[in-house]
Amino acid sequence: METQTHLEEQILVLVAGTISGKFKKTKITPETHLQRELGLDSLGVLSLVFRFEEAFGIDLSQMDLKIDIAKLRTVRDVMNAGRDILDQARTRQNV
Amino acid sequence: MFENPDHLGVPVAGTSQIVDCHCHIASEAQHSRSFIDGSISNVVAALSAQGVPVTAKKLSALFYRKMQDPLCDELVMEMAQSGISKSILLVADFTYALKDCALTIEESFSRHRDVLVRHPGKFEVFGGVDPRWGNDGLALFERSLVEFGFRGLKLYPPCGFNPSDPALFPFYELCAYHRVPVLLHIGPTSPALSFETCHPFLIDGAARRFPTVNFILAHGAVSFTEECAMMCRFRPNVYLDISGYQATLGWDPQCSAVKNTVSQGINHKVLFGTDWPVFRLQGDQLSFVEAIAREDGPLSQLNEREKSLVLHKNIQGLLQAAECPAAQTAIA
Repeated sequence: METQTHLEEQILVLVAGTISGKFKKTKITPETHLQRELGLDSLGVLSLVFRFEEAFGIDLSQMDLKIDIAKLRTVRDVMNAGRDILDQARTRQNV
Repeated sequence: MFENPDHLGVPVAGTSQIVDCHCHIASEAQHSRSFIDGSISNVVAALSAQGVPVTAKKLSALFYRKMQDPLCDELVMEMAQSGISKSILLVADFTYALKDCALTIEESFSRHRDVLVRHPGKFEVFGGVDPRWGNDGLALFERSLVEFGFRGLKLYPPCGFNPSDPALFPFYELCAYHRVPVLLHIGPTSPALSFETCHPFLIDGAARRFPTVNFILAHGAVSFTEECAMMCRFRPNVYLDISGYQATLGWDPQCSAVKNTVSQGINHKVLFGTDWPVFRLQGDQLSFVEAIAREDGPLSQLNEREKSLVLHKNIQGLLQAAECPAAQTAIA
């Protein structure tokens, strides 16, 4: 549980680092809508993806992901996706 | 598991007849490598300036993952989820201007014809031909109308031609005879191409000379918006589509660009479009329909009649003319 909370906090920090301009003051919660409330466009999504790779030391292009980033609506969706990606990465390391 | 089930298979209320007038086949083969590389280099520059660790190679890999739908099966699925009943596939002909296209224009037409056959009733196709292909291009375009069942002409002036160039007049004569519309790209695009021929006023000569041909200014709520609205207001046979509005959602989630366009008394000239698959890294078709059609969205101040014009009736009207039996025989 503690690990999961830590991961969620890390992802919140990543999301906060991605948003810009007038949305910087928006309070971010797991329910916050990425596009409508944080103005996350294509550049924002890509920024989030590459910052995630850097923060966790993984290369998404080397993974056979079933995640569709176009369907991420909320911060919670990003947290869930992040957790699954890291689980998958750990499984790959253990194989 | 990352898909919110509330969003799946549930079209936005009252929007199940939407016609998306601006799509492309999501396939590497349908695009020039230099065209995409040019666009990617702009994105890499923007992200790098923000300190994002990105390379063109990584970005290309992500983008091309979203370009693996050559038969439009994924698009059909997303249309069903978002209440889009029909989409128009546009064939942009880069083969004259850019020499690294995977397919010839004939092959590209053929792939689009395959999609029409595979998904009956779901698509219409506007064939694109660079006018510098001359009579061969003209013959191919006419075949596309008479034999393949295509329903319009797509032009990409940034390839380096003026849309009112006399070389295009035989194409417009065919459009007049077959009663099909012309959709042309407006505004800047990949740096691999010229921005000198992307202004909406360049179509005025042709629109005036061919008053029975309808011209659609693509991305008219995003690029040269004032000029596009002006053309729609004053030139009876000029329309605009709002595709590309997704690019504005980053700084303006309320989509004021579209709101502004639909508040100018030209809603009998405004067409809905998404430019699939250009924004597939940003969202899916459902999220893009929601951004436009939600209760507090840019169409919220329109009455139901106006909404239906923008979302489907205007483009349906433009397509209806081509269903006339007189428009089935060749003249070239």
